[in-house]
Amino acid sequence: MPSSEPAASTNHRWVEACTIDALPPGERKLIKIDDVEIALFNIDETVFAIKNRCPHSSGPLIRGYIDNAGGIKCPMHGWRFDLRTGESKRPAHATVYQVKIEGGDIYLAL
Amino acid sequence: MDLQRIDALITDEYAFFLRARNSWSLTAGPQDLELVAHALRVLLHARTTPDFLDDYTALVACQNTAGGWSPLSSDTDSTVWVSAFCGLMLIRANRFLHHDHLTRSVQQAIDYFLDTQHQDGRWVDPAWADLDTTSHPVSFFNVVMALGETHRQPEVQRAWEQGLRFIIDNQSPDGGWYDQEFHPSGVEITAHLIQDALVADLVIDRRVNGVRASCTKGAARLSEWQAQAGSWDDENIDHTMDCTRSLMLVTRILAESSHNDTIMRGLGWIMNNKNEHGWGDFPGMETNLERTCDGLDTMLKYKAYCHSEADAVIKLWGYLR
Repeated sequence: MPSSEPAASTNHRWVEACTIDALPPGERKLIKIDDVEIALFNIDETVFAIKNRCPHSSGPLIRGYIDNAGGIKCPMHGWRFDLRTGESKRPAHATVYQVKIEGGDIYLAL
Repeated sequence: MDLQRIDALITDEYAFFLRARNSWSLTAGPQDLELVAHALRVLLHARTTPDFLDDYTALVACQNTAGGWSPLSSDTDSTVWVSAFCGLMLIRANRFLHHDHLTRSVQQAIDYFLDTQHQDGRWVDPAWADLDTTSHPVSFFNVVMALGETHRQPEVQRAWEQGLRFIIDNQSPDGGWYDQEFHPSGVEITAHLIQDALVADLVIDRRVNGVRASCTKGAARLSEWQAQAGSWDDENIDHTMDCTRSLMLVTRILAESSHNDTIMRGLGWIMNNKNEHGWGDFPGMETNLERTCDGLDTMLKYKAYCHSEADAVIKLWGYLR
């Protein structure tokens, strides 16, 4: 299964998020690492990870609407973010995490 | 709905809200002003505003020189949406506080909104849809007129009417308002527009044609959108609170009882999806203070909605003295 970004920079550490079995294609999962909520999405067998709280007004992206262009819209006020880059047309940038799959486990670069 | 249960819930949640005071009070340091405005609205509707004068004067103190406010109290760039919410809380609070600083602050806010309106009647805020943004200064001006504030009155009336017409002109034939960027489902924006911008005209002076029909269609659309269990927008607690409150006000002013079952289902769903203390954004999510303020506000408005005095709930939007 591909991950959204295979390599982490040297400033990052890889942290185990969950098993890939816990996130089948089409599913989403909320996890917490170091008190930070992270929303995981398995879209067509590619895993994406984004900080759960929308930078606009903290809406939970885990409940967001995913579009066909690789974006997610916050369920509260509709701000859209690219799941690969965190970029938005709005005046904010969401934090996204690099992902790798190894030995049946999902790792995030934090 | 058992009003004793509502009263007990309000007492309990208000105590929780007060225990969290350092997280919303400007007297404790810089804050997110959207949260502050939500909190000040709870104080207004709990009728405890006079006990919190310092919070209101602190809001005056972080007003920017142009007359607006910033999303964060420590910033200096004004934006429309939060400015309208802050201005609204100050003018309504000053009915009880009678404070010169608040009076001047409200007048400066009026100046800010007159200075920032666009030619076609809209106001713009990069963080919000234009229709939603526009509803907030219109709401502020509704209350400015309802409470008899006369600062630049002819200009206020003109700007208010232009804003109102911008909103009416953009209603969809199905009764809802939509914004593909921010509110594709239309639920939250429709709830906001009918309660905050439009319906006040039916109470204040009926100057604009089409308001009654627009509100009637908007309220009907909201009812159609409700899920069977009582929520709106895929169990969105915020939007369910918005819709429930909006229907309480609009149907009271329209003297329509046909949406009462919708209101009761909404209220029941909100109560059933409360955390031990407060509310989260969706069922099962942890409590946040803004949603808790909305929840308290919904309960306080429901009490007013049930009051024998038919106008009681309208007063909680500031459209009547």
